[in-house]
Amino acid sequence: MKLTKYLFAAALAGVALSFTSCDNAKKESKGALGGNLAERSFVAPGEHDEFYGFISGGFSGQLSVIGLPSGRIFKVIPVFSVDGEKAYGFNEETKPMLNTSYGFIPWDDSHHPDISQTNGVLDGRWVFINANNTPRIARISLETFETVEIIEIPNSAGNHSSSYVTDNTEYVIAGTRFGVPVPQRDMPINEYKGNFKGALSFLKVDPETGQMDLSFQIMMPGFNYDKAHPGRGKSHGWFFYTTYNTEEAHTLLEVNASQNDKDYIAAINWKKIEEFVANGGGTKMKTKYAHNIYSDETHMATSTMKTEVLTVDPKDVPGAIYFLPTPKSPHGCDVDPSGEYIVGSGKLSANLTVHSFTKMLDAIENEKFAGDAYGIPILNFEDILAGTVVQPGLGPLHTEFDGKGNAYTTFFISSEVVKWKLGTWEVIDRKPTYYSVGHLMIPGGNSQKPFGKYLVAMNKITKDRYLPTGPEVTQSAQLYDITGEKMELLLDFPTVGEPHYAAGIPADLVAPHSKKYFKLEDNKHPYATLSEKDAKVVRDGNTVHIYMTMIRSHFAPDNIEGIQEGDRVYFHVTNLEQDYDVPHGISMIGAQTSELLIMPGQTETFVWEAKNQGVWPFYCTDFCSALHQEMQGYVRVSPKGSDVPLKWSLDDE
Amino acid sequence: MKKSKIIMVLGAFLLLSLFVFPLWNITLEAPQYPEPIGMDIWINKIADHNPNDIQNINLMNHYVGMKEIPEHMPEFDIFPIVIGAMSLIGMIIGLIGKKSLYITWFVVMSILGTAGMYDFYAWEYEYGHNLNPKAAIKFTDENGNPLAYQPPLIGNKTILNFKAKSWPMTGAYLMFIGMGLSVVAFYVDKKEEANS
Amino acid sequence: MKTTIYSLFVAGVLLIFSACTSSETQEGDTESSNATADNTPLGQASVVDNESDPNILQVAIGSPDHTTLVAAVQAAKIEHILVNAGPLTVFAPTNAAFDKLPEGTVDTLLKPENVGDLATILTRHAAPGSYNIEALKKEARKGRKLYMATGDYFEVTVDGDDVFVNGVKVLASIQTANGIVNVVDEVLLPKSE
Repeated sequence: MKLTKYLFAAALAGVALSFTSCDNAKKESKGALGGNLAERSFVAPGEHDEFYGFISGGFSGQLSVIGLPSGRIFKVIPVFSVDGEKAYGFNEETKPMLNTSYGFIPWDDSHHPDISQTNGVLDGRWVFINANNTPRIARISLETFETVEIIEIPNSAGNHSSSYVTDNTEYVIAGTRFGVPVPQRDMPINEYKGNFKGALSFLKVDPETGQMDLSFQIMMPGFNYDKAHPGRGKSHGWFFYTTYNTEEAHTLLEVNASQNDKDYIAAINWKKIEEFVANGGGTKMKTKYAHNIYSDETHMATSTMKTEVLTVDPKDVPGAIYFLPTPKSPHGCDVDPSGEYIVGSGKLSANLTVHSFTKMLDAIENEKFAGDAYGIPILNFEDILAGTVVQPGLGPLHTEFDGKGNAYTTFFISSEVVKWKLGTWEVIDRKPTYYSVGHLMIPGGNSQKPFGKYLVAMNKITKDRYLPTGPEVTQSAQLYDITGEKMELLLDFPTVGEPHYAAGIPADLVAPHSKKYFKLEDNKHPYATLSEKDAKVVRDGNTVHIYMTMIRSHFAPDNIEGIQEGDRVYFHVTNLEQDYDVPHGISMIGAQTSELLIMPGQTETFVWEAKNQGVWPFYCTDFCSALHQEMQGYVRVSPKGSDVPLKWSLDDE
Repeated sequence: MKKSKIIMVLGAFLLLSLFVFPLWNITLEAPQYPEPIGMDIWINKIADHNPNDIQNINLMNHYVGMKEIPEHMPEFDIFPIVIGAMSLIGMIIGLIGKKSLYITWFVVMSILGTAGMYDFYAWEYEYGHNLNPKAAIKFTDENGNPLAYQPPLIGNKTILNFKAKSWPMTGAYLMFIGMGLSVVAFYVDKKEEANS
Repeated sequence: MKTTIYSLFVAGVLLIFSACTSSETQEGDTESSNATADNTPLGQASVVDNESDPNILQVAIGSPDHTTLVAAVQAAKIEHILVNAGPLTVFAPTNAAFDKLPEGTVDTLLKPENVGDLATILTRHAAPGSYNIEALKKEARKGRKLYMATGDYFEVTVDGDDVFVNGVKVLASIQTANGIVNVVDEVLLPKSE
């Protein structure tokens, strides 16, 4: 005890001192870096960034849109969490987007955005992203930059190994991080081993509309399926999933799931399973999951509850699934642009393991198996090993590629990005991150065609990198230039939520298709009001529907009388503007919901309960125009049963 | 057929292009409109240069009390008849092949053209000066008189932070060429007479 | 008592100077290889925070019995690992433990050309997870080996009240902000050696 005390006191003294002295050195070195770096990440006023970045918000549940190299943030797209700013999950139109088999859920944890591809190259049509907590996959349109579809994944828990797309976006996939009983039932937790399952889900994507459909689920052993990567090029048709907890422990996983010297990468020949299913294979199983679709024509989402899913038992499709032994709880699972190398980052392993796809096929052909797990053949580690990056750092997590034969791996514990060469496995460069990097992203860096100019490292910890903001400090990412032999740190920039993973794409593949406004003539919202003369108020018992329009700088109607205490008043508001960047907002005093933020040509709805008699104002909440402050109106609420007639007007007409 | 006759018929025929192409364009440029907004004036309508431009011009102009750009004007009924008739007459004249009639047609066209321009000016004046007294925003010039928002007849003009551009379009150019051809026909005919 | 505190204080000051010196050298190194040098070579180790509980590195820096270890960590440039979020268990050999090594071993390892070897030796003293003496006893009871950051597995044994890792006795466990420091009086060497 005495020793502890001494150590502690001394530590404090030492620590306190160190800061005064070391701080200076740090500041000086920053000054010396100056101009060159600033120029290379600077985007002049009015100029545009070269790349879009889509950074997931982790526990914020959202997806931010940023520019690279500037790191400037353009939009936070609400996906799995409600957003009062955009009325997402608050207005009547988007509430169904967050519907699940458990009912409405206002939050989730968004992890891995992935951009749709054609022939293994980013095509810039949609971004897919997974919800980790209540398993779902969302699709975001890169025309409207809005969430247009969310599908729930049944029989799954902790949807972490998700949502990656195959070379032609044939499938977007989901996995199960937490083994669970399938179907769910009441049973002792300690009977996990052998009884729990890990469902791997394949969702077909319609090549025209992008709409997802849960094609089949493979019922794998109850390991924890951590990360996944589709085969590319030569390995197209395969999917690779890292696993941990092949021990099938159910408690204190930090110890009990770290016992096996090697866990597996599951290699899945999805083309074979697709064929099996097409020929009538698989078992239909009763379940329940929500499929929610937003329409840009009705400006509304609909939620449909599905009741059946097709399951595939690996035993029924021999030759479709193999286990590749990979050291120490592999986390990242990354396939290089050629499709030959499968990088498994054993997060507790001292070395990086790289498997060879060719050797894997060879071993399969010659049936060189080391045994099996639940009937699934296990290959020999030595037979399939392409190479090992020896002691590159501590705590390897994720790898992306620059398309020039180099790989870049993040190391959480040693807090660095390490550049190494495919084939020779030699380390070329290493750069620290500030601090404790998780994922990294090179635009197109997980596809066949990386745009290897910039690398974004997404950190879990920032500590002293920014001005402090109390105990909770900003989240942050860092931009590196990777055009040279050595990486160069260009920029630190704050992010919204935990920057979990990101996808990047050259701006010219996306920007030209960005929608400017919605055409009023295409508005099929059932409560749309397409001109001021159609504005009206309709009573239906205690429910009142206001068909309202908004245009610079007034509402029609802006005086409404005849509302009675206890009425439930629906404001269906249509923005009649047909010009770029003229949204209007609306909210009403005492409304127990968010504002509406309505884009030109769009209709949205909020509900207001008329609780007290009086004359109550509403106003435009988005500074729309020179006379924005004048954009306001009144609702008169009379006592229940009052003979004040239902009346609406604009300019007393 | 004599060359002059063909030229005259062609000239008169070119007038018909006004049914296919717009006559005039007024465009407004301002920093808040990175893509300028504009209207195309045809002989029978005023149309958006880009989708919804007129709605956006009206929205902006209503703050200073300007009227909406009319969807219909009496001119839209008269102009097509006048142009159609003049084209027909011109082609008949061409077929008759009398050079004094060529020049007469040109003079009549010029008078009608001037009248048309005057009418255009009068509408612009009315549009720019006759403001709603209840307008939300009232600007005055340096003499304290209400500011007028009349676009230029032809050319560029700065109104507040807008640059208004008023220029002929394809239809008008083809009409000018048609009128020019009637004069050409006149001289060609003269030459042909001298040669024969 | 007063003198003890004073000497600790002086030790602390000296350590800090050495830390700063090494940081400057390191900057020089990276600059020569790369025009845009890392502007915080120590990474998270240079974070200013004298309010939170001290982390593994801070505890080691503050201990007069671990000056050799700290010097070695700095020479191996792995300070930032010891301030990582962890959780990490570090077996911290005392100065006496290093003295038990054949003469000249430490000096050789501290040479710049041996940075890699030194880093490996030190990394072998770190295990992912939190294992204080009580937790180590549980590992021994359940027959589980301790997995070290280098990939080595060390056996945990109990003799009476004492706990041994790879045959080396754990003298004391100190809880830090990002893991455990277990004081040992011998350097942990690979099983094969």
